[in-house]
Amino acid sequence: MSKKQKKDLIRLAVQIFFLALIILISFNHFRSEQGLAPLLIGAPSLHAVCPFGGVVTIYTYFTEGTFIQKIHQSSYTLMWLVLALTLLFGPVFCGWVCPFGTVEEFIGKIGKKIFKKNYNHFVPSIIDKPLRYIRYVILILVVVNTAISGKLLFANFDPYFALFNIWSSEVTRLSLLVLGLVLIGSLFVERPWCKYLCPLGALLGIFNLFRIVKLKRNEKTCINCKACDRVCPMNINVSTSKVVSDHQCISCLLCTDEITCPVNNTLNFTVLEKKNSRENSEKDSKGKNKESISGGKK
Amino acid sequence: MKIKSIHILLAIIIIIGGGILLASQLGLYNTTKAKSPLKTAEGVYDIADIRGSHTLEEIEKYYQVPASSIIESFGLKPDSNPSIFKLKDLGEIYKPVELEGKEYIVETDTVRVFVSLYLKKPYISDETFYLPERTVNYLIENNKLTGEEKDYWLTHTFKLEYLENDSLSASETPEKIEEAVEETIEDKVAEEIEEFKVTGQTIIQELLDSGITEENFEEITGFKVPEDKSILVKDFAADKGIEFKEIKDKFAE
Repeated sequence: MSKKQKKDLIRLAVQIFFLALIILISFNHFRSEQGLAPLLIGAPSLHAVCPFGGVVTIYTYFTEGTFIQKIHQSSYTLMWLVLALTLLFGPVFCGWVCPFGTVEEFIGKIGKKIFKKNYNHFVPSIIDKPLRYIRYVILILVVVNTAISGKLLFANFDPYFALFNIWSSEVTRLSLLVLGLVLIGSLFVERPWCKYLCPLGALLGIFNLFRIVKLKRNEKTCINCKACDRVCPMNINVSTSKVVSDHQCISCLLCTDEITCPVNNTLNFTVLEKKNSRENSEKDSKGKNKESISGGKK
Repeated sequence: MKIKSIHILLAIIIIIGGGILLASQLGLYNTTKAKSPLKTAEGVYDIADIRGSHTLEEIEKYYQVPASSIIESFGLKPDSNPSIFKLKDLGEIYKPVELEGKEYIVETDTVRVFVSLYLKKPYISDETFYLPERTVNYLIENNKLTGEEKDYWLTHTFKLEYLENDSLSASETPEKIEEAVEETIEDKVAEEIEEFKVTGQTIIQELLDSGITEENFEEITGFKVPEDKSILVKDFAADKGIEFKEIKDKFAE
C-alpha cells in the first residue's frame, strides 16, 4: 500500500466509527422497545441523532418555540454543530460522517470492481447536471411542507431512516422502495442519493460557495494529469478550477495532494494565503520537477 | 496553512464530539421529550403540546380537565383506566370520518380542541373543524361554549362510529352507547391490562396501576417508590445501578 493510500484510512476509520455508532443506536432503540437495557450507550431514536431533523423543525422552533413531532432538541443542536463544521470545511458531514453516504460508498466499491473505469460515468452530462438541482427542490418542498403540517413528512420516504430502522413498523413502503433504488443505483453511480436527492446535502453544499477553508489548485504547478477529476466521487471538474466551490463537493479530500494529486502543494485545503511567495515558488518548482517525471509516465 | 485529513478528524472530534458534550452539560442535548408539556409565556401548559402519548390522567394533571369529562364526552367506557388510556388510543376506537372530502381521525387534535373549549383557552387547530356530536352536546350541557361558539359547533358535528361495531353510532341512546362502549372499550382495556408488560417506555405510575404494590416494588428493586412516579422504570433502574432486564422479569412474575 502506498503512503498516499494509507492516508485515506483516517476518513475510512471515521466513516466506520459513525456507521457502527448509528447501528448500535438503532439496535439499542430496538432493545429498549423490547424492554431490554441498552448496550454501552443510550437508546435514542434515529430522529434524535439526525441533524436534518433540526433543519425541518427550524421554522416551527422560531415561530412557536417548539420542535415538530418526533424531533428532539438533540437534532436541533446537532444541526448547528454540523453547520459550524460545514462553514469551516464544507460538507465534511457528507464525506466523513453520514452513515448513509458511507453505505452508498461501500456499495460503490463493488460497482467499481464490476464496471471499472465506466463506473460513475453512466449518466450523460446533459441529464446529470440538471438532475443535481433536484435536491434543492426536495429541500424546499420538505422544509415548507413540514412547516405547514408540523409533521415529519420526510420520514415517509427517507432511505436513511428505512435502512437503519428496518425492523420498525414506522418504516413506510415508499421509503423502502427509495432505499432499494438508491442501493441498486450505488452500483452504477457513486453516492446517487447524495448527488441527486439528499436535502441535507443540498443545504450543506451551499456552504461550498463561502467555506472558510478552501480547496485550491495551484495552476502553476498543476501537470494537468486529471487524476483529481477521475477520483472525485461527485464528478467535479477539479482540474479546471482554481478554487473548487462546486456545490456538490463533499470535502472528502480524495483529490488533494495528500491522497491523489501527484504534485506536492498543488491541490489542497488551505486556510491562509501563502505569504512567502519566493519560498513557495522554489518548493513548487522542486515539486514540479520531481513529479513531472512520474506525471510524464501517465 | 495546509489542511490535512488529521485536521478534519480533529475538527470532527472537537466540533461534533465536544459540541455534544458541552450541549449535554448545558442541558441542550435531550434525545427524548420530557413527559410534561411545554408551558406558554403565561406559565400555563400549552394546549398545542398535548401529545398522543399523554394519558387521560396526565391531561387531568397538567390541564385540570377531569379524565371523567373526556371519558363521558367521547363516549368511552366509564371505568376506563385514565392512567393507561392514551389519547392516540382514540384512533383505534373510532372509525375515520369523511369531512369536506378529507378523512378525519378522532385522536389527539380532537382532544386539544375539546380541552381548549373546556378551559376557554385559545387553540388554533389546522385540522379539527368538526367535533363529535356527543362532545359538542357535553360542552353545551356544561356551559363551556359561548353563544357564538355554540352556533358554530352545532353546525360542525359528526356522528362517532366505533371500529369494532359498524351498526352502532355513539350519538345514539345512552343505553345503547354504554352497551357498545362496554363491548369495545372493555375489551381494549382488559386486553391492555392483561397484556401489560414492562418495557423501556413504562413509567413507575403505570407499573403501580398494573397491580404492583409499593411493597412489591421495594422488594424487587431494593428502593422505595420515588415521589415522581412519572419517570421511566428504565431510567430509575439506571439511576440506582440496577439491571433493568432483571427487575423487568421480576415484575412480570
